[in-house]
Amino acid sequence: MKQKKNRGIEALKARYGWICITPWIIGLVLFFGLPIIQSVCYSFSDVALTTDGLQTSFVGIKNFKYIFAQNADYLDYIAEAVIQFFYSFPVIMIVSIILAIMLNQKFKGRIFFRALYFLPVIIASGAVLSVVLTSVSEGISNIEADESVAMAMFDVDDIVSSLGLPQKMGDYFVIVIDGIMNMIWNCGVQTVLFISGMQTIPSLLYEVSRVEGATKWEEFWLITLPMLSRVIVLVAVFTMVELMTAQNNSVMRQAYTFMQMQYYGEGSAMLWSYFIVIGVIMAAVLGLYNRLCMKKWE
Amino acid sequence: MRLKRKSVTQKKLISRTANLSYSVFRFALLIAIGYIVIYPVIYMISSSVKTSAAFADPSIIYIPKEATLEYYSIAVKALNYGNSILSTLKYEIVSAVIEILVCSFIAYGLARFRFKGKKFFNFILVLTILIPTQMIIIPMMTNYSQLDILGIFGLFDKLTGIDIRPNILGTAWTFYLPSLFGVGLRSGILIYIYVQFFKGLPKELEEAAWIDGAGLFRTFISIAVPSSSVVYTTVTLFALIWHWNDYYLSIMYLSSDFPMAVKIYDIDTLLNAYNIWQGSNAAISAKCACCFIFILPMLILYLLLQRKFVQSIDRVGITG
Repeated sequence: MKQKKNRGIEALKARYGWICITPWIIGLVLFFGLPIIQSVCYSFSDVALTTDGLQTSFVGIKNFKYIFAQNADYLDYIAEAVIQFFYSFPVIMIVSIILAIMLNQKFKGRIFFRALYFLPVIIASGAVLSVVLTSVSEGISNIEADESVAMAMFDVDDIVSSLGLPQKMGDYFVIVIDGIMNMIWNCGVQTVLFISGMQTIPSLLYEVSRVEGATKWEEFWLITLPMLSRVIVLVAVFTMVELMTAQNNSVMRQAYTFMQMQYYGEGSAMLWSYFIVIGVIMAAVLGLYNRLCMKKWE
Repeated sequence: MRLKRKSVTQKKLISRTANLSYSVFRFALLIAIGYIVIYPVIYMISSSVKTSAAFADPSIIYIPKEATLEYYSIAVKALNYGNSILSTLKYEIVSAVIEILVCSFIAYGLARFRFKGKKFFNFILVLTILIPTQMIIIPMMTNYSQLDILGIFGLFDKLTGIDIRPNILGTAWTFYLPSLFGVGLRSGILIYIYVQFFKGLPKELEEAAWIDGAGLFRTFISIAVPSSSVVYTTVTLFALIWHWNDYYLSIMYLSSDFPMAVKIYDIDTLLNAYNIWQGSNAAISAKCACCFIFILPMLILYLLLQRKFVQSIDRVGITG
């Protein structure tokens, strides 16, 4: 009798689930599935823009042959994107979790710092940052810096010469500082997500651990991180997507150039093969995380 | 006895110095990274009030000797500030609000209930986050120019010869329709944020409500929504800011009456009308002024919601 009732509730819940996602399924079919199928079709066809709209003719794997065999840069671009991903991803994750922990503690000026660290979310997601950064480099154009903000912020040449280091070191510093800056500008959303994740951890857990005599270090590894496990997945997915599909990503840039020249077929083929690479990397990272961390914590 | 007491005070001393050095370290790190974060903003504000002569003066770095608001009046005119705010509200903010509400409902379904095919939908969700709009924009545009819901309208056309497929390109519907179905601008990531947070909520209250016979909408509105104010605040901020900043969709879908982000994207051409040419110092000032008045509403929004952010921590602390 009891089991039957339970099964009834389970069935009801399943129905509720379907009710919730019904609008989404409609949207997925209309505004996501169909365009994607069309885009896959483009990658196997010659696409021409005529007065009657797009005319497509099936050409098999010609586009793929072109991008892999004839376009020498494509594989290099993919390699560049993947390498950049592997050093940016851990840095962004670690920096944003450290920032979130610090900003979530109680100290004087916390509200000020939080507002400060929210700025990247507002600025970096649109055209504003690039407009300001080009202005910065235009403003110091007498040094002939190419879009280097580091040059404007620190007097690198001065520091290098006062320390007696060779000029080459200075150039190297500029590259490193610019890289770090880019990454920090990309940490905004991640930090906010981590902070809001930390706020949902019940404070009771910390009180208990304090009574038990746990150190802050142990608290971090045994309470904060495990309780954040879901948010970590969320942030990881977000970061991966942002890094891989950013406007300045080399593969994306090349594909858009192709699209702008109305080579839709080649452009789509490029994006689709790139997405297979991203998909494999994402699956590997998330799978590893699941095996190493999620199981242990849950 | 005495020995023990001594060791306790020693321990206290050690922990106090550790705490103090940690505070100093934290402060230093926050300021160092903060400098990087705030630099472009300071640069923006300072350049926007500089006169052209001030750029040449090496003694001026941040604070100019005489400030001018000339560039702000140009910026307001060049961006057509009032009108572009209105059109941003009409296209972007309305669809952001729709998204905030619709996505939370969809996410509730994905996070709370077990049903067949859920894994498949989770996979699709990641796919919607992963695939950028640029990739599907051209099929989308052809679809919008002849909106055809599952071929029904097209079939009607073939049967009767009357074309009732509406062209919604250039109207606000291109923004509202996808948002209504949870597939608008960055909807995927919003749903994903909601899902991860809803999963973390305790189930007991809702279980009790089911047993008492409360329906789906009732439990959602009176139990799930009130206990997730943190995630609603977060998502609201992100959705509003991302919509405010988005220029790509507007460029593609609209032909006139552009939101402000498009104008920022195209700022160099707009400033030419005011005899300000790219590369000049005046252009830097004017661009910075434009950027500043563009982000100002979002800054104000954040400062308003920030208080909510802090309040919601305390509430979670008490109930937790």
